[in-house]
Amino acid sequence: MAITATTLSTTRRRFLQGTGAALAASASGGLCLPALAQGQEITIISNLSNAGQPDILHRLATEYEAKSGAKITINNMDHEAHKTAIRSYLVVGAPDICFWFSGNRMKAFVNKGLFDDISDLFARENYKNVLGATTSAVTVGDKQYGLPMGGLLWGLFYRKDVFAEHNWTPPKTWTDFLAFGEAAKSASMIPMSMGTKELWPAGGWFDHMNLRINGLDKHIALMDGKVQYTDPMLTPVFDKWRDLIKAGFFSPNHSSFGWEQAGAALAQKKAAMMDLGGFVRSAFPEADIPQLAYAPFPEVIPGVARYEDFSVNSIHVPANAKNKQGARDFLAYFYRPENLGAFLAAEGAIPPRNDCPPSKDPLVNAAVEELKKVVGTSQYYDRDTDPDMAQEGMTGLQEFMVKPERRDQILERLEKTRKRIFG
Amino acid sequence: MPGFWRRNRHWLTPALFLAPGLILFSLVILAASVETVWISLHEWDGIGAKTWVGLANYAELADDPQFYVSLKNNVIWLLIFMLAPPIGLALALIVNQQIGGMRILKSLFFVPLVLATVTVGVVFGWVYDPTYGLLQLIFGLFGGTAPALLSDENFATFAVAAAALWPQIAFCMVLFLAGLNNLNEDLIGAGRVDGARGWRMLRHVVLPQLSQVGFIAIAVTVIGALRSFDMVAVMTTGGPYGSSTVLAYQMYEESIFSYRFGYGAAIATVLFVIMISFIAWYLHGLIKAERSNA
Repeated sequence: MAITATTLSTTRRRFLQGTGAALAASASGGLCLPALAQGQEITIISNLSNAGQPDILHRLATEYEAKSGAKITINNMDHEAHKTAIRSYLVVGAPDICFWFSGNRMKAFVNKGLFDDISDLFARENYKNVLGATTSAVTVGDKQYGLPMGGLLWGLFYRKDVFAEHNWTPPKTWTDFLAFGEAAKSASMIPMSMGTKELWPAGGWFDHMNLRINGLDKHIALMDGKVQYTDPMLTPVFDKWRDLIKAGFFSPNHSSFGWEQAGAALAQKKAAMMDLGGFVRSAFPEADIPQLAYAPFPEVIPGVARYEDFSVNSIHVPANAKNKQGARDFLAYFYRPENLGAFLAAEGAIPPRNDCPPSKDPLVNAAVEELKKVVGTSQYYDRDTDPDMAQEGMTGLQEFMVKPERRDQILERLEKTRKRIFG
Repeated sequence: MPGFWRRNRHWLTPALFLAPGLILFSLVILAASVETVWISLHEWDGIGAKTWVGLANYAELADDPQFYVSLKNNVIWLLIFMLAPPIGLALALIVNQQIGGMRILKSLFFVPLVLATVTVGVVFGWVYDPTYGLLQLIFGLFGGTAPALLSDENFATFAVAAAALWPQIAFCMVLFLAGLNNLNEDLIGAGRVDGARGWRMLRHVVLPQLSQVGFIAIAVTVIGALRSFDMVAVMTTGGPYGSSTVLAYQMYEESIFSYRFGYGAAIATVLFVIMISFIAWYLHGLIKAERSNA
């Protein structure tokens, strides 16, 4: 469990080298496709929620079919539903390729023997050279179990036109932040758009408060179950969070809708900012996307180094896949820099390979620039801690956001769960 | 061979007819139930090896506040669902009149039964939406603000159960309509001759003939309330913060989200015990009815 803190910060550094040295080498562009693929079938389950990515995946699959003679079936699932479905399909009825999340969430399936070891593909295609330390996000015990996909840098998103209209600047300090909230409210806007129906946005807010107050090492210790949920270090986190809740910073009735609706409120200028990853763009109409801008979560305690949530998605070959060789061959094609770059551009994610073409997307480039200022990264609440703990934890955090006065009961309950899971 | 068949067909024929059902039932229902009880005595992540823990899962359940929330919500569901048979009966009596246009009305009332429950849940989720929903539009007409039913821990269960009640009423209505079509004309005619009209006719001639149907409607409604799961999953996913979970949903959440199949199985077993007592009552009623008919 201790992999996260150290390895992921190096991941970030490697990401930066990668995008900086873009186009440096497109050496792998000229690979020949194996002739073996003839007459094979490859099934893929994807979880793509934005409009552009499934199209690109289909295009790449069709191109590959034409070149190799293999037949590819893609089943795209709803992103949230897929999180549930994967638990059963990995055991019964596994596809040949599936999408998931790197780090601890991948490790949970690796430990259960459900993801195939693809170290051979890494060696064959020399991925370690182009991925560098990002490899560690998909590595368990010296073996690779997936290919890292786009990286998502979390932070506060806002509309440039709204900020220009009100003469606002993104808040940098806690005092700024509180003042900004009041300004947004007096402009009849919700300061922070949030939808907690699917729970995780509450977990993300907790991450960002805790990273700003206690720093990365203590946060990761909590995620690894080494710190009690009743520990006094969390008191200022919940004190400050309670102040925001009491001051009406968050969307009213946030537990009755999900992030899509909260994102729509941001797009419709009903809310001023929103804590999310770059995929917030999918809640925006095409014409409004250029208005979208990123600002880091404000500083809470002066002097605490800047740590962020930076999550890396991934793609895997299930251990129960029928056509593991075919899956590897298609992945090799899909993972070519030009193909991967096109696929990730549609999501606004930061490419993990250092030889992908440079992004034309100002949001991606801004995220890359921001990442350079970040000292260390975690992934996300439900990616960093045990899934069982994450479920209880995010439920408790949602309850806290609705009933902040129940803080003590909630934290005692979470501590009980932590003790059961981590001992 | 024909000789064998002739000698044995008195028992072979029913046995062969029963076999597919019996095999399916014992495999899908009986074996699965026994296995569930067996799993509930283990700690198991659903994939790896099982560890025997005896009754520890049940001991934890007795100490789990979430379990009591679910149990309480199941009782609320049960009470709300008890509205379905009387409302269904009332609707059946209304749409059973020989009035023009009643066929259309009848089919309109029948609509929710055709919809998948998940659809009903999603649609009601929109109705309840505090910003854009129909409920807010109605409240807005009177200058009010609709309560956010699904995000209020005090209302969420009632709101979900009310949505689930809609198709359940339609179901009861259909049962009663079938019953009304089977009324004994002789008895009604005799009642008329004796001067029974309106309420007295309903109370003393019609309703007694519907008691069998009524029993079935109540029993099916009770079971429907206890196994409620899909609506909760679609409308609130048990939230806010677990305040609208029912036993079936908690079982699903523990098993699928938290990988605690042993604990989930323990919840399933408790639900099974509660249900089996209702089912036993139902079967007892059915058998009694069959005997009295025979």
